[in-house]
Amino acid sequence: MDMSFEEKSVWIQLASLVVGLGGYLVVAGLMLSNGVSALPPFVPVFAVAVVLIVAVNIAGHVVAAVTSRSHEADERDRLIGCRAESGSSWILGVGVIGAIMALILSVSGVWVAHLLLISLFGSEVVKEVLQIVYYRRGV
Amino acid sequence: MAQSGKSIRNRIRILRFHHDEMTQQQLADQVGVTRQTVNAIEGGKYSPSLEVAFRIAHVFGKPIEEVFQFVDASG
Repeated sequence: MDMSFEEKSVWIQLASLVVGLGGYLVVAGLMLSNGVSALPPFVPVFAVAVVLIVAVNIAGHVVAAVTSRSHEADERDRLIGCRAESGSSWILGVGVIGAIMALILSVSGVWVAHLLLISLFGSEVVKEVLQIVYYRRGV
Repeated sequence: MAQSGKSIRNRIRILRFHHDEMTQQQLADQVGVTRQTVNAIEGGKYSPSLEVAFRIAHVFGKPIEEVFQFVDASG
């Protein structure tokens, strides 16, 4: 597939998010279903997820940089980024409002934290997917 | 933008041919965009900014209306 460095970068970010944060959410879901209700046990799992995201990003971008001619974003890349951002940022907004509502309703902090994390994950994944759609189908 | 992409036609492929088969990469380097963006413009998948459109026309030494034409989609 013929891709610019920026498009490759989007694929790498999507892969790192799905592998890292997606993996974390699966493990966290299992922990929550097993009755873990405090935040500290989730911290090491989250730390592993962050390391995984960073590692996949670094490795992927090194490969992308080696296999790409130009590394600079042009006006099309910026337009696609802006469009995707505006089409996905509402998800994080809904999550933040939901978290505030949950705090008002005295929902456990562990659920509020994960609601925020899920909305961040959803927002980023939708953004990357929209970018890929715009790159492939035109903008 | 996708709708306007359908209504803006261009002659970049023909003009490249008449400029010693200039490659998309050569045009992209002179205009200051990526080759993939030139490919998207040529294929009608992306309508460039006015600045990039003028730069492309300048590379070919043509007025902008000889490179890009607005085709009324309703007509």
